Amino acid sequence: MKMKKMLSVLLGIMLIASMILTGCKTKETNNNKDEETKTATETGTETATEEPVVESAKKIVVFQSKVEIIDQLEAAAAEYKAETGVEVEVWGTTGDDYLQQLKLKLNNNEGPTVFSLAPGSESDELAAYLADLSDVSFVGDIAANMADESEGKVVGIPYTVEGFGVVYNKDLIDASKMTSTEAFATMLKDQKAAGINGFSLSQESYFLIGHILNTPFALQADAKTYVEDLIAGKVKMQDTKEFVEFAQVMEAVRENTQNPLEVNYDKETGDFATGKSASIHQGNWAYGMFKDYNVGFEMGMMGLPLNGNQSIAVSVPTCWYVNSQASEAEIQAGKEFLEWMYTSKTGQRYLTEEFGFIPVLTTMVSTSLDPLSQEVARLTAEGKTIGWPMNAYWPAGIVDVYLVPVAQEFFTTDMTGEEFLAALTDAFVQAGK
Amino acid sequence: MKKKANIAWYLLFVLPLVLIFTTVVIIPFIIGIGYSFFEWDGMRLNEKIFIGFDNFAKLLTDANFLTSAGKTILFTLFAIVAINILGLAFALIVTSKLKVRNVARTMLFMPYLIGGLILGYVWKFIFSDVFSSLGESTGITGVFFNWLLNSKFALVALIIVATWQMAGYIMIIYITGIQGIPEEVTEAAKVDGAGFWQTLLKIKFPLIMPSFTICLFLTVSNCFKIYDVNLALTAGGPARSTEMFAMNIYNEIFSLSNYGYGQAKAIVFFIVVAIITLIQVSITKKKEVVM
Repeated sequence: MKMKKMLSVLLGIMLIASMILTGCKTKETNNNKDEETKTATETGTETATEEPVVESAKKIVVFQSKVEIIDQLEAAAAEYKAETGVEVEVWGTTGDDYLQQLKLKLNNNEGPTVFSLAPGSESDELAAYLADLSDVSFVGDIAANMADESEGKVVGIPYTVEGFGVVYNKDLIDASKMTSTEAFATMLKDQKAAGINGFSLSQESYFLIGHILNTPFALQADAKTYVEDLIAGKVKMQDTKEFVEFAQVMEAVRENTQNPLEVNYDKETGDFATGKSASIHQGNWAYGMFKDYNVGFEMGMMGLPLNGNQSIAVSVPTCWYVNSQASEAEIQAGKEFLEWMYTSKTGQRYLTEEFGFIPVLTTMVSTSLDPLSQEVARLTAEGKTIGWPMNAYWPAGIVDVYLVPVAQEFFTTDMTGEEFLAALTDAFVQAGK
Repeated sequence: MKKKANIAWYLLFVLPLVLIFTTVVIIPFIIGIGYSFFEWDGMRLNEKIFIGFDNFAKLLTDANFLTSAGKTILFTLFAIVAINILGLAFALIVTSKLKVRNVARTMLFMPYLIGGLILGYVWKFIFSDVFSSLGESTGITGVFFNWLLNSKFALVALIIVATWQMAGYIMIIYITGIQGIPEEVTEAAKVDGAGFWQTLLKIKFPLIMPSFTICLFLTVSNCFKIYDVNLALTAGGPARSTEMFAMNIYNEIFSLSNYGYGQAKAIVFFIVVAIITLIQVSITKKKEVVM
């Protein structure tokens, strides 16, 4: 008798288990169906334009990496819902592991409809997941070379432009004298003698080595070929003038300023805002950090003077992408959301005023740029800009895994500039394998 | 009839666990072995290229992986010794006639309840900020400087934090072992004139051998697998000097997107840990005595 009872319990368990398993199965077939219809419509759009209008979804998910705008984006999503009735759910992130989380979600078919990536090696890696956005109405208005294109199709819509370089205190540094590496090193010594920290990096990977190493790469005549040759072992940083000067700057920084490994972003920006540091290597995004301080001086931006360089690095840090694996209705809704953000009055207000973005559409103007963004806009207008090979050509993941350890070694031992360059060259060879 | 009913009960309790264990451990593990023969970046839509044993061959020449392995072994050796000695000492103290033993027990166990990440950040502050300002104010810069910027001291710092976290947990296991020793035995030893050390070495240690087996096993496997404290405290720095196995694998897979290669590393890592812990368990098992 007892046994019968047990058996029925067991049977029950089996039943539930099989239900769960078949549940998975049906879901899978659903997804396959999605893919099929998707490829079908893709080929459809290429041949015929009179494709039936797709009903757009009532709810989409946005997942993006820019931590500073999450609250504002949620507010924008609320207004979007009020205006159109479509719910936009914004997923939060701490920023550090955004890419890993995104990949996991895309892989599990739980991916967001709209997401962000850095155009370049990141978007190349996920190219299969990027929907074609060429038919979005404002694509033609995006400023030249700013949209992320893949095989002739626009897949990424730029957030903003950002520029980084030496952010300096105009009371302490005369930018017109910073024309050579020697002048920069002398400035560091003079500031040190005056009891001020002349220049500051900070311990976070990009602020420590990623951004500053971008400059000598961007100064090469053809950065793409240079990176390829570097990985193939055909060129070495030790033999390239800009890099040798870069190493001289780094040596001077190690000698005359506080150890960047003991400085974090908060301290770096705080010391600058309070006049304890004369300059920092940062970009216009850092202005948000100064809002809490009563900054009593004028600040400017200039290029790191390697080989006489005067240009700052300006590019698109992040683009919006739509998930090609989402259902057709969701893709449509995702495109509509982006359209609303870039073309409607409310959306544009959020972009320029709330997010503080520098407009990327030729049809848009912003009247509310902060001082550092104004500097970026001014230098861009003067043509004093260089690119961001670090996003476009460096092997993915190299900064955190390969470059940071080298920089840490440089700042904790007394390795020479030449050994430093040799180690960096090695890092590229290893990462590029 | 009765026997069959027993089997049914047995199945009822074991089957769900077996099911869960199979779906979340065994199956992924087998799939993982499969992936280690491919060159793949982990994205479903991207191409997988079968490359046979190339990933494993590459391991032997991967200098970063080998140094990381060396550091992990070094860390594990020191951490096991420190954790077990401290855990045992704590256990002996709180099972003695000490007045504050219950409070002490709670306090000593507390660090284990704090997550490894938080613990790591707390100690990061201590080792970098507190230590350097102590050095500045006292002038004893030989001891008080930023430990996390020195490759040797950073490893020591990691050992200290791991010990701080694990010792309390290990203590609990030793306590149960010590409390399991019958009073008559220790009393008889006392009557026979055995001192503290004699009782400890000749009576208590042999009788708590099963606890040693468990504690050593737990510490060996936990120290090999350490990740959270490692991430929060040093993040592998400075210059990879504290990059443990688990972090090396995580970076390979998730930062560099070498899914297949990272998976190969993980398989090798598993085999190494399995062999070492099996050897350890079989050795300490032999030493266990039956009353």
